[in-house]
Amino acid sequence: MFQGQRGWFCGSVSQDLRQIWEDEGGMVSDVKAADFLFSCDASHPDTLRIYQSLEYIEDNATVFHAYYLAAIANTEMKNSVALGHFVLPPACLQKEIRRKIGSFIWEQDEKFQIEKHDRM
Amino acid sequence: ATDSCSRMLKYTCSGCIVARKLLNSRNFSKFLHSCAYQCVHHKVIMEAEDKYKNELRKTFICAKKILLTPCRRRQLCKES
Ligand SMILES: [Zn+2]
Repeated sequence: MFQGQRGWFCGSVSQDLRQIWEDEGGMVSDVKAADFLFSCDASHPDTLRIYQSLEYIEDNATVFHAYYLAAIANTEMKNSVALGHFVLPPACLQKEIRRKIGSFIWEQDEKFQIEKHDRM
Repeated sequence: ATDSCSRMLKYTCSGCIVARKLLNSRNFSKFLHSCAYQCVHHKVIMEAEDKYKNELRKTFICAKKILLTPCRRRQLCKES
């Protein structure tokens, strides 16, 4: 599904979620080269750096919540998962946004439990 | 289930339904801005992010100005 696409991962993204990306054919790259920017925590320093970059203020860098990958792993109709629902805004904006629209889709944790494989 | 149904109804603009193949971190924001209609979800996020970006833009411009005022420039020349 992600054949030929490059993804960057914030340090807050778990190995399980990264693995889904790779299993679907995605490559891991640095921020500059990445087509997709994934994070699980808008206040993590890696992600903060993006929110303060010129690319971000010029509308060239949207951060998506990495639960998007869990949603894909949990469904048969992978293309039906709307990437647009997983926009991760800066932490300082989240409170205000939540006040207007309720919780974010990626805050409904129970939907994004990945089946844990024992890797012992 | 009713909750997720009502969520789905509330969430229907191009930003919600356009195929992932066409979208990524590099074009999503521009794409959303180009849409004539945004759902509540996307409109609220977009407006909040735009406000934040404008603030940042101002601080960037301020920083540049400080660096480029003639006085500061002379200083820089002397230093180098
Ligand atoms: Zn939408």
